[in-house]
Amino acid sequence: MNQFQYVRPSKQQAAIEAVAKDANATFIAGGTNLVDLMKRGVMAPQKLVDINRLPLTRIDHDPGKLRIGALALNSAVADDKQVREHQPLLVQAINAGASAQLRNMATTGGNMLQRTRCPYFYDTAMPCNKREPGTGCGALEGINRMHAIFGFSDKCIAVHPSDMSVALVALDATVLVSGPRGDRRIAFADLHRLPGDTPEKDTTLEPGELITAVEVPDNPFTKHVSYHKVRERASYAFALVSAAAALDLDGSTIKAARLAFGGVAHKPWRLTAAEQFLVGKPATEETFKQAATVAMQGAKAFKHNEYKLRLAPNTLVQALKNATAA
Amino acid sequence: MKPLSKQIGSTLNRVDGHLKVTGAATYSAEYELPGMSYAVLVGSTIAKGRIKSIDARAAEKAPGVLAVITHFNSPKVPGFTPTGKDPSQPQTTGGRLKVFNDDKVRFNDQPIAVVVADTLERARFAARLVKAEYEQEKHETDMAAGLRQAFVPTQAKKNPKSGVADYVRGTADAYKTGAVKLEAEYVIPTEVHHPMELQAIIAHWEAPDRLTIYDKTQGTMATRRDFAKEWGLPEENVKVIATFVGGAFGNALHSWPHESAAIIAARQVKRPVKLVLTREQMTTMVGYRPHTWQKIGMSASPDGKITAITHEATGQTSSYEEFTESTVQQTRMMYTAPNVNTRYRLAALDVSTPIWMRGPGEATGAFALESAMDEMAHLLNLDPLEFRLRNYTDKDPENGKPWSSKFLKECYQMGAERIGWSKRQLKPGSLRDGDWLIGYGMGVGTFGAHRGSSKANVRLLPNGTVVLQSAVTDIGPGTGTAMTQIAADTLGLPPEKIRFEWGNSEFAPAPTQGGSAIVNTVGPAVQEACLALKEKLRTMAGASNAAFASARKEDVVFADKYLTLNGNDTARASYADLLKQTDGGFVTVESKPNGENGQKYSMYSYSVHFAEVRVNPLTGEVRVSKLVSCADAGTIVNQKTAGNQMKGGAVGGIGMALMEATHMDDRFGRYVTKDLADYHVPVQADAPAVEVLFVNQPDPHVNALGTKGIGEIAIIGVAPAIANAVFNATGKRVRELPITPDKLV
Amino acid sequence: MNNEPDLPPSHDEARRNFLKQSSLLTAVALVPAPVVQAATAELDERVAAAIEKVPLKLEINGKKYKLDVEPRTTLLDLLREQLNLTGTKKGCDYGQCGACTVHVDGQRVNSCLSFAVMHDGKKITTIEGLADGDKLHPMQAAFVKHDGFQCGYCTPGQIMSAVACVREGHADSEAEIREYMSGNICRCGAYTNIVAAIQEVKNGGQKV
Ligand SMILES: Cc1cc2nc3c(=O)[nH]c(=O)nc-3n(C[C@H](O)[C@H](O)[C@H](O)COP(=O)(O)OP(=O)(O)OC[C@H]3O[C@@H](n4cnc5c(N)ncnc54)[C@H](O)[C@@H]3O)c2cc1C
Ligand code: SF4
Ligand code: FES
Ligand code: FES
Repeated sequence: MNQFQYVRPSKQQAAIEAVAKDANATFIAGGTNLVDLMKRGVMAPQKLVDINRLPLTRIDHDPGKLRIGALALNSAVADDKQVREHQPLLVQAINAGASAQLRNMATTGGNMLQRTRCPYFYDTAMPCNKREPGTGCGALEGINRMHAIFGFSDKCIAVHPSDMSVALVALDATVLVSGPRGDRRIAFADLHRLPGDTPEKDTTLEPGELITAVEVPDNPFTKHVSYHKVRERASYAFALVSAAAALDLDGSTIKAARLAFGGVAHKPWRLTAAEQFLVGKPATEETFKQAATVAMQGAKAFKHNEYKLRLAPNTLVQALKNATAA
Repeated sequence: MKPLSKQIGSTLNRVDGHLKVTGAATYSAEYELPGMSYAVLVGSTIAKGRIKSIDARAAEKAPGVLAVITHFNSPKVPGFTPTGKDPSQPQTTGGRLKVFNDDKVRFNDQPIAVVVADTLERARFAARLVKAEYEQEKHETDMAAGLRQAFVPTQAKKNPKSGVADYVRGTADAYKTGAVKLEAEYVIPTEVHHPMELQAIIAHWEAPDRLTIYDKTQGTMATRRDFAKEWGLPEENVKVIATFVGGAFGNALHSWPHESAAIIAARQVKRPVKLVLTREQMTTMVGYRPHTWQKIGMSASPDGKITAITHEATGQTSSYEEFTESTVQQTRMMYTAPNVNTRYRLAALDVSTPIWMRGPGEATGAFALESAMDEMAHLLNLDPLEFRLRNYTDKDPENGKPWSSKFLKECYQMGAERIGWSKRQLKPGSLRDGDWLIGYGMGVGTFGAHRGSSKANVRLLPNGTVVLQSAVTDIGPGTGTAMTQIAADTLGLPPEKIRFEWGNSEFAPAPTQGGSAIVNTVGPAVQEACLALKEKLRTMAGASNAAFASARKEDVVFADKYLTLNGNDTARASYADLLKQTDGGFVTVESKPNGENGQKYSMYSYSVHFAEVRVNPLTGEVRVSKLVSCADAGTIVNQKTAGNQMKGGAVGGIGMALMEATHMDDRFGRYVTKDLADYHVPVQADAPAVEVLFVNQPDPHVNALGTKGIGEIAIIGVAPAIANAVFNATGKRVRELPITPDKLV
Repeated sequence: MNNEPDLPPSHDEARRNFLKQSSLLTAVALVPAPVVQAATAELDERVAAAIEKVPLKLEINGKKYKLDVEPRTTLLDLLREQLNLTGTKKGCDYGQCGACTVHVDGQRVNSCLSFAVMHDGKKITTIEGLADGDKLHPMQAAFVKHDGFQCGYCTPGQIMSAVACVREGHADSEAEIREYMSGNICRCGAYTNIVAAIQEVKNGGQKV
């Protein structure tokens, strides 16, 4: 790892300026993703702006919405009483990620901005458009069992690895951002982008923009929720496929649903059409299977991830079953 | 005096437990030497070809850098002669990779340079600045291609009796005309040992002809031999220290390029050099369980008697070393069958050399054989346990010899009862609990009860403590604890009065830790050394005390401050007096196996594993909900550590069955699963509460202790037990490990 | 069904070039562009290093340290390589094994994934600081009693994690312990015994 300059501003504006002014500067929060990438030479910022002294750790429930500060730790969010009460799906998703130690370091902002785990991205001796634009996508014709089945381009077929983000996209969250040109709000579904021709860009954030908080509106999904994550071991592994399901049930009739996939695309993958399909239908396995078919519209696989075309809909069905039974 | 409780068979806590739980146990990278420098290896980025040039200028200029060593400027290593074969490496032909010796690239991530700097951070940074240009040649890393060019191992060609040579009993391939017939192929991917401790070495030239290395190795003597030879030094001039080894599972049975590189670097910079591999380098530089293709042909009569088995196996090896293992051995001796033949071949690819990984070839082979047994039982509509009983053999069908001991039937019975085998249904997919299907499966394992020769040193200290020393390593099984117990019982001392020291090539020579042979081998040496010490002290005391002079060594008793005699505690010789005379009664004893017994008997340890699994048919998730492992391993010296070994083997078997695999991008000949996020090993949530049952019957022929060995049988047979249980749960037969969700949805 | 995505026929010239390059006679080891940039931009890292060591105050196992460290030094490497506190282990260096687990202000974290400077002013507890003099911490004693290890390499991390697990209130059932201890890999597979040790401490009611 190269030497870098380290600064630790205590004022938000100073932090933003430090990054906005310097193309080689970057924020560091928990460090669990950035330090890893720096060790492997995938990222090599020359200035690190440590934001941990900024007052962004609060978790507040105001009428109508939950507001989670960008520096609230994953573990703090998952163990928070208000979050558990109002957003149990989010709690399940966070706890499905990483390990207890990592969740003690990982921040809300950092988690959503973590980069793909595509092994080609991580190995500097391999081609990767995301790491080095123009070198080609190693995974496209390589080992792509972990890769996308939705929304990919011929430049990049990576998936976004965050579990927390799958719940946030399903729950209509909003990201609060502060930048050199002021504050703005981004619908969570618009935070991450598809790779298109510029896979090096993961998100719609502008240079120097700092995530300050995420807001989740209150909703009726406080009981029938499930985050089902399928991975190659029982814990401490990234998803092959995950599904977030939240149901509002009237007896056994579905009044409303929120659904999303993880591990299938360059961004957490909201399933609006399947949600609409479920409204007014009985909460039965048969309905869930039909919804899963709707959810899979447009999916396409590569050489090694063809199984995801079966695993993804089945995982959604399992999540819906769990949610109903919850 | 109150009688001492017997230590052999007890649950004595580990003698090094305190050091391990306080962080005071010192592993190879943790010695502090003045002037320490840090080395980082640079690996090739092609799989085959020639290094045209290496631009090290930027690295050399980087702060703190002491040297950048490549084949262009490496000090000459005397042992790296062009044709140098290495006789110290058993069962492999060809030679170890000679690092920085030529411009050839033989596998991807082969070390091509080592950067040494004054701090770790600086060495790591500079290593990234080294640039190489290659002349690339077409590589082959695809097993499919390797299989097409599979060949008979040189060892088998030279010696038709060798364990890897073709074997026929009765008629070859007789299964083809059998009444009920099975033919199936089984594949095990490349698996990696990945012990938690990264391979590490500190190399220190104490003088131009004196080398000390603190090294992760399973054999201090073998490592000493290798590097003495490499540098043309007398073996006494090389000292190898490996007091604590943070797991190895076989990957420290060989000497590897990074060790040579650190020694070269230390020579060059004239300072101690510490070199710790990265987790990625653990995949590419220190061996792995080879990708192996197998085929089983089996026939049986309708009443469940096996009539023939054919077992073929081809394992991957490197282009420069022939690595072989006993993949087909279990098939030759496990079941009565009049017609059995085995064929073992190698596939050489442009990869690094494999090395034995826990349970080695036997674990690979058992996956095929024990899966096939389950498949055949299913074809015959027989309970798989009943099918095995119908083909049980009371003598070794390979050579007609009697077993030295065999209590496998007892294991079957105990295990079946404990898992609740009676709940198993013949028809797959019959049991369900909510969303989960439930299945039961079993797998058998066996491993030779090997015993070699070993020495042990022993002496008495004036404070009444007995110190034993052996060059043997303890990579986790609790060797030090077991030896303490053996010495305690032999001497009649409490374990606190015994200090067993290990892991140093200057101690009494002992074999490499591996092949489940250490208690079998070093145990008798410790036992005999303790007896010799008694005898020696008795004679010493006898010089001035008639009672001792006429006593038998068996009657010698160690009291607190003096030696006395059983039944005559007026006979006393104080330690202080005794030890004035000589060097503490220092004795070295060599213990050798009884060759005659080896001729007369077939000696094996056995295990049987019963698994209960739960499978989610929608998502393909598999959870092992219960695992019962029973072992016939002879005398159990320590119930606690032996039980732990068995549990650990079971966890390894879960990894093998459900998650462990590397994936190679054959276009580049480079692995994509190099770290512990991509290469999955079991975590706490994957491990069921494994139950362990021991027959605990001494073997009368292996050695006087009655031990047979545990480490390997702990894992051999676990993977097929799980695969068979998955079949019983789902009706899906997975013949290519691991059984990941993608294979079940 | 054909699952190949519809790709335009001659796209991604760059990728093809890369493949061509590396399959033809000459290939250049890729040094990641950002690293080269960083190296050349910092014309004299020697000078930079001297200036860019930053002061750091830490309290480790009750002892106060005033240090000067490079910002790129991780907490783990600081402990192991500079302070000779080698009880904390390095099993991967990437947050993937838990061997490096220490407590920072009482919270268990992976010391390999954070820079030491980020912990300025904090209290660190490592395995060396857990026992009370010669008296083992109850978790240490339970690990010995239940043989919660073999090679011992993962053990310091397991114990630090186990203590935190009980303190956090995540040790209420075997299943919960197994899930909340999954961030500590034991390749020797001593998992069952580790659970037994944690349960004993949890149920024993001693102060943890
Ligand atoms: C072994 C391992 C396993 C893991 N498993 C999982 C898993 O199963 N599921 C899962 O979801 N995650 C998993 N993770 C990822 C982990 O959750 C993320 O690394 C973590 O959430 C990142 O948060 P951080 O605060 O540490 O981010 P950092 O590493 O500090 O930052 C990540 C990125 O975000 C930027 N950034 C951080 N905060 C802000 C902000 N407020 N505004 C703007 N930019 C910001 C940084 O500049 C950096 O580029 C795993 C990680 C590891 C190492
Ligand atoms: S999928 Fe994306 S991240 Fe992976 S190699 Fe291709 S471009 Fe890189
Ligand atoms: S060394 Fe930190 S998690 Fe492995
Ligand atoms: S004791 Fe060896 S890794 Fe856990």
